[in-house]
This record gives sequence, structure tokens and C-alpha cells, in this order.
Amino acid sequence: MDFRLKLFAGTLALALSAAGHAADPIKIGVSGPYTGGSSSMGVSMRDGVRLAIEEINKNGGVLGGRQLVAIERDDEAKNERGVQIAQELINKEQVAATVGFINTGVALAAQRFYEDAKIPVFNNVATGSVITHQFEPPEYPDNYVFRNAANDSLQAPMIVEEAVVRRGFKKVAILADSTNYGQLGREDLEKALAAKGVKPVAVEKFNIKDVDMTAQLLKSKEAGAEAVLTYGIGPELAQIANGMAKLGWKVPIVGSWTLSMANYIDNSGANGEGAVMPQTFIQDGNTPRRKAFIDAYLAKFKPKNDRIDSPVSAAQAYDSIYLLAAAFEQAGGTDGPKVREALESLQKPYEGVVMTYDKPFTHDNHDAIAAKDVVMGEVKGGRVVLAH
Amino acid sequence: MILLQLIYSGIALGMIYAVIAFGYQLTFATSGTLNFGQGEALMLGALVGLTLVGLGVNYWVMIPIVCVFGFVQGAVVERVAVRPAIRTRSEFGWIMATIALGIIFRNVAENVWGRDDLRFPSPLPESPIRLLGANVLPMELLVVFGALAMMLLVELFNRKSIHGKAFVATAADRDAAGLMGVNTGLVITCSYALSSLTAAFAGVLVAPLTLTGATMGAVLGLKAFAVAIIGGLSSGLGVVVGGLILGIAETTTGFYLSTGYKDVPGLVLLLLVLTVKPAGLFGKTAIKKV
Repeated sequence: MDFRLKLFAGTLALALSAAGHAADPIKIGVSGPYTGGSSSMGVSMRDGVRLAIEEINKNGGVLGGRQLVAIERDDEAKNERGVQIAQELINKEQVAATVGFINTGVALAAQRFYEDAKIPVFNNVATGSVITHQFEPPEYPDNYVFRNAANDSLQAPMIVEEAVVRRGFKKVAILADSTNYGQLGREDLEKALAAKGVKPVAVEKFNIKDVDMTAQLLKSKEAGAEAVLTYGIGPELAQIANGMAKLGWKVPIVGSWTLSMANYIDNSGANGEGAVMPQTFIQDGNTPRRKAFIDAYLAKFKPKNDRIDSPVSAAQAYDSIYLLAAAFEQAGGTDGPKVREALESLQKPYEGVVMTYDKPFTHDNHDAIAAKDVVMGEVKGGRVVLAH
Repeated sequence: MILLQLIYSGIALGMIYAVIAFGYQLTFATSGTLNFGQGEALMLGALVGLTLVGLGVNYWVMIPIVCVFGFVQGAVVERVAVRPAIRTRSEFGWIMATIALGIIFRNVAENVWGRDDLRFPSPLPESPIRLLGANVLPMELLVVFGALAMMLLVELFNRKSIHGKAFVATAADRDAAGLMGVNTGLVITCSYALSSLTAAFAGVLVAPLTLTGATMGAVLGLKAFAVAIIGGLSSGLGVVVGGLILGIAETTTGFYLSTGYKDVPGLVLLLLVLTVKPAGLFGKTAIKKV
């Protein structure tokens, strides 16, 4: 074989492998509840992911032309489904990373497998404080769990700040559901209140699917509560607002971000107006970047009444994909440990829809969102708007 | 006035339980079996009603349509799940069969209507009325009087009409009624149909107060079962009293004791009734001949 032929064969081989390389898509797992009580968050999250992936692919993909592909799985908000899905995504689909998790329990059960497989897992909705602290040194030298959602230990002080400091209510009642979510949140609220020297005048509990809140509300009313702080999910929160209207007792409701759920707003109607909750994102195009995102989302998914079911979930999910894409670029590949290192030291600030992420993570801090990045939203006219 | 408010809410809640429990009592009287999918019959009634209202049907026009739907649904449950068990004299077959059908209905509803809770538009004004110093919603009054009216109608039907007499005869002694020319099989089918009809009616009645969704029947059906046991499975009056006891116990315990324990007194009462008077407060003690 003469030299020219060799050169030709070599070039051809190189070109072929490069072409093969470029065509090789990058798989990203998407795990969330697309059915069931938390599906409004799950579906909005999935749609945010789809939108981001479509945009990135249209603009030439990542790593010199590789396309992103979402592998979507419905975890039904069940821990055991989350575990099965994690194993499937890691072993069968061999994803480069996974995003999602709405439910703290599912996240805690499933992310162990990603940690063991050294694959980054990106929580974009679940808020349990412990999620990013499940795998920490010294037992685990590196943590593969990242998050860009406001965790519960951020939310409770904000709720208290709003009710006690900003509005000056010294007598507050806490109403929390009997699940882990509600009871951990109640503890956080009591701690945050104690820090302000306030003791709740009533602390009441309710169960999922309870249809009557008279006893809880009457106790709060009799104790002289000037505001009600809540930790629960949409349907029961709506029953609280409706129960207040029935008793003819109207005090402000301030609670965790679930007060922005579509099933709270729809089921409480006029009674639910004025509820205030911490939000990382509000469907209000107050920057060009946010406006572009909202317009693109509405055009693509056409939600009812042009209202995103859970704007927070959609926006955080959208940002999580862009952050991952930036990490792939910086790492120069999809190798798990390298992507983790890239996420922990992202060089280029990314202007997202929730905020501008400037070095969002470090080796020891895997929560991108801090208290200063969270605003208060208010239910007004059947939508969530900026409160102040 | 606190106590009065709690009692009002307890009565409204109790009548919701009572009207579902009444359905248990109907089928138990004629066939000695129960439809454990009663909560699902209620859920289907509410969701069908919601769909009709969504299509623009008036609330009051929708109620009879939902009742017809419930009637057919109950007949299907009896033919599919209960009749084979009665024919083979299986003691427990119908328990599993009605539970299984209930689960199937719930899954079908989840696929048709989704798994989220939906809002049922209230046909009456949603602002409370002041009654003797405490607040009630107009819808709560409708539930109480609607449920009582329906139970009275069924009782009247049983006592006055010839078909009703066939019901009573079958309840008293199925074999003797059969020998007297009563088509007991048809009577049992009808009792199931009637029981699901009451459940579907209860569904559209309570839906504006509770939320409407595929899982709404599960908790209500279970509590209603406790009510049926407390009041006595063979007594129509018993389920009303049982419902009121449980409803008022829940709201008052929630207020005076702790909302964390509000389900406890009702269940303690259930255990007490089972030990002291197993047939229920108003039930006739059955004599089992061997």
C-alpha cells in the first residue's frame, strides 16, 4: 500500500469514526409522576425537559453535534417504581444522567443507584432538605446528587418571615397533613417560628382525602389565630380554604410552595384567593429570557387557559437540562465522574429562566438555589403572581 | 356556638356516610351479601355527573340520568360478581369479586377521567347561611335532606308496592319467598341495582362538598362500612343514627381532643358494638340454626 492510499484509508477511518461519534445521541433519563396526585408537577417538569432538549437539538446539540434524547419513565410517585426505573435507566438504557423526581421519598429511594453507578442525578422539583445530603464525605467521597429546587429548610423561614415579620402576625396556627412531607414541614415551621420568638397558637393535623376541616379551623379560630400557615398538598389545602369560607372566618393563608398547585387554585376558586407561598419561578415574563420560555411553552404544549400547571416545575426542569448540557460541554464527554466535576465547577455562567446560575455548585454544596433566589407568589385571579 | 357548629358539620359528614351505608344495608337485607365496591359506585356516579354537567346538562336534570347509570352499574356488579358466588353457595367468593370489580372500576375511572381531583360546580350558592348562630352551607342542607328523602322513598317503595313486598319477603326468607313464586334472583339483582343507584345519587350529592376524583370513594366507602356495622346491617334507621354518631364523633373529637385522633372514637365505638351487640345498635340478632 503506498503512502497516499494509507493516508486516504486513515482519513476515511477517522471521518467514519467521527461521523459515528457525532450521530451517537446522549440519553438522559427523566423520572417523575405523570399520573396521580402530583402529576401536575410531574407533567410540567417533563414538558420543561422536552422544551429544553428540543431547543438544544435544534441549535446543533452538544459536544459537536450529538443530540440529546429523553428517556421518560412514569414513577407514579411510588418509591418502588422509582427504584425499578433507576435500575432500568442505568443498566439497560445506560443514560448519561437522569433528571426529575417530584417526590422526596422516590428521590431518596432511587438515587442510591446513581450514586453507586457514578452517574449524576439532577433533582429539579423535589424539596426534601435531606435529598442532597444523602451521600456525603467521609462515607461517600463524591456526591452525584444535584438539585435546582428550593429545599424545605429554605421555605419554612420564608413563610415565617412573610407572616410574622412582613405582615406582623404574632398569633399563627399551623395546619399540616399527616404525611412525611407535612410533618417534616411542620417541624421546620415550628423551628423557624421559635427563632422569631413566636409560639403557634394551634398546631393541627389532617389526613390526605379528608373532606371536613371544621375541627381544625375552629380550633385555630378559637385560639385567636391571625394567619394560617400550611404544609400539605393541593386538594386538602383547597378544603382548608373552602372550610374557612364556610365558617365565615377569613384570615391570610401562607404556606409551602404547593399552594401554587393547579388543583389548589381550581378546587378552592374564589376562596383560595390571596394565599401566599415561596416560588422560584412565576409565570410572568419579566425578563426577555423568561418571556421567551413562557411563550415557547404555551405554543408547544397549549395548557388550559394558557396557565402552566406548575410553572416552578417546568422552569426548574428546563434549566436543569441546560445546566447538564453545559456540564457535558465542559467535561468534553458524558463520563459520569467528569460530568460531576464539571457541574461542581461550571465555568460559564448560564442565564436560566429561574435565575442566572453563576457557579451554582461546589464540591460540598449541591443545592443551586439559595434563599435570595426565591420570591413570594400570591394567588390572584386564578393564577400565581408576584406578591410584592 | 362552637359545639353547634361542630354538630352541624358532624351531621353533614354523618349523612354522607349514612347514605352510602344505606346501600350496604339494601343488598345485605335481600341476599346476605355486600357490595364492597360501594365507594366506587359513588365515585362513578359523581364522575359521570361531572361529565354531564361539563356537557352543559343542568344539575337537576343530570341527577335522574346518573341514577339510571347507577342502577345499570349495580345490576352488572350483581350479575358478574355476586350471582356466581350465590349459585355455588360460596361463602366468600362475592367478597373478593366485589372488591376486584371495585378496583377495576377505579382503574377505568383513572384512565377515563385522570387521577387528579376535580372541582364539581355547586348548584347552590356557596356562601354560608346562618342558622341558630352557626354557619351551614346550602349544599350541606341539600345533602342532609336529599339523603333522608331518598331513604324514605326506598322504604316507602318496600312497604307499599308489590315489588317492594317481594323485596321484604326475600329479605325475610329467601327460600320461602321463592316457593311463593317470588323471582328471588331478580329481586337480588334489583337490590344491587338500587344500592348502586343510591350510591351514585350520593356521589353527585356530596361531590360539590368533597372533591371529585377516582380515589374519592375509597375512604368514604370504608367509613360507611363502619357506620353500617355500628347501626346494624339490617336496619335503615340504624345507618342514619350510626352515620350521625360517627360524623359528630369525628368533628367533636377533632376539636376537643386532637385532630390527630379524630378517627379513633368512631373506631373504638365500632369495636365496642362488635363485642357487646354484634348485630349493630338497631340490628336484629340473627339466630343461626345448625
